[in-house]
Amino acid sequence: MRTKLGMLIAGVSLLVSAAPAWAHHAFAAEFDSTKPVKLKGVVTKMEWINPHAWIHLDVKSEDGTVTNWMVEGGSPNTLLRNGFTKASLPVGTEIVVDGYQAKDATNKMNGRDITFPDGRKLFVGSAGQGSAPPDK
Amino acid sequence: MIRALVLAASIVMTLSAQKLPRTVDGQPDLQGIWSNATITPLERPADLAGKQTFTAEEAAAYEKQVVERNNVDRRTGNAEADVATAYNQFWYDRGTKAVGTRRTSLIVDPPDGRIPALTPEAEKRVQDKRAWMEAHSTDSPEGRTLGERCILWVTAGPPMLPGPYNNNFQILQARDQVVILNEMIHNARIIPLDGTPHLAGTVRQWMGDSRGHWDGNTLVVDTTNFSDQYAFRGSDRNLHLTERFTRTSPDTLLYEFTVDDPTAFTKPWTAQIAVTRTKGSIFEYACHEGNYAMTDILAGARAEEKKAGK
Repeated sequence: MRTKLGMLIAGVSLLVSAAPAWAHHAFAAEFDSTKPVKLKGVVTKMEWINPHAWIHLDVKSEDGTVTNWMVEGGSPNTLLRNGFTKASLPVGTEIVVDGYQAKDATNKMNGRDITFPDGRKLFVGSAGQGSAPPDK
Repeated sequence: MIRALVLAASIVMTLSAQKLPRTVDGQPDLQGIWSNATITPLERPADLAGKQTFTAEEAAAYEKQVVERNNVDRRTGNAEADVATAYNQFWYDRGTKAVGTRRTSLIVDPPDGRIPALTPEAEKRVQDKRAWMEAHSTDSPEGRTLGERCILWVTAGPPMLPGPYNNNFQILQARDQVVILNEMIHNARIIPLDGTPHLAGTVRQWMGDSRGHWDGNTLVVDTTNFSDQYAFRGSDRNLHLTERFTRTSPDTLLYEFTVDDPTAFTKPWTAQIAVTRTKGSIFEYACHEGNYAMTDILAGARAEEKKAGK
């Protein structure tokens, strides 16, 4: 399996300067910060559901066995607002997911960063830029 | 001084509002989809103590600073912060602008821009609740927050405040009723304007019981009868919330709210947000349809207990 579990912990800084974390629920309660995961796989399904969208993907190991993972994203409303469509991430698309495994040790992780194999980000858009002004 | 400025601003707004659109019933037309996204915080940050408003240059610099600070694509290397950040910047929509008044906090009263101190009883209640939540946070769904349980969203209100995304609400008007639909957890309040009294005090609701009336061009909404389990910044069941909606231009609406709860706060407090009209739709936020996180959190806690041999 091309997953690299538990080996990617960067130096822990006590200075947390990140923005206040505020998803629908406490990701820190769901995912394990000591289990970073980076894997490459092929999209099998995308669930456009609230409160957070989930991407399913098959990850093939070197011995050929395939494991299905579920990756948690953010609000599907953001996808709609940014023009993301069901055609934007077809089944079969290869992606690389960087995140943390669920505390219950099942094959679930958060999609802290998701890219295509060439490094382009999957989720890019105008979020964080404020809502669009009304048409005149 | 502040009150004089607010009064002067109100007069100007009232005058200009007379030219604004009205509904077929002759009421000021507040209808539309509005965004309350702003980087201005509810409370004035400690490093801005004593400074009520920015100059235009200061506001621009502050906006730049906050937008950079909010950018979660900048990873710090701290795994705990990283996992708590959840996902990348694409998913966040906090806005990029300070409120148009250039005030340094949404709270306009008291003048220090801070939520007044809780009463000793409320302080104890909040501490006790916090301790209970910490001790029971993974026992069952009841130990999680109301937001995680998809019952209420902390910024959807009432009162309505900006949050990390989906900062939109829609107002619909009829002669005797107003509907306010908030995108987060798709809460809709149907507010009577016909003078009917509040529900009996024994009836308690998650979002309280809202009644509206017109004060000139301003829609005033009074909300009482909150559930014992609803606590807005430390409020209790005696919370009396007053919201005021005033259309100030075709594309702006002044939203104000006053929190009056003498058993929780040592004095009332008021905040103001100039919200802006936005195009697009309100999308459904059916929070519980795929709330896998709830079972993941509880299953995670059971797995950790097992590992610890409990």
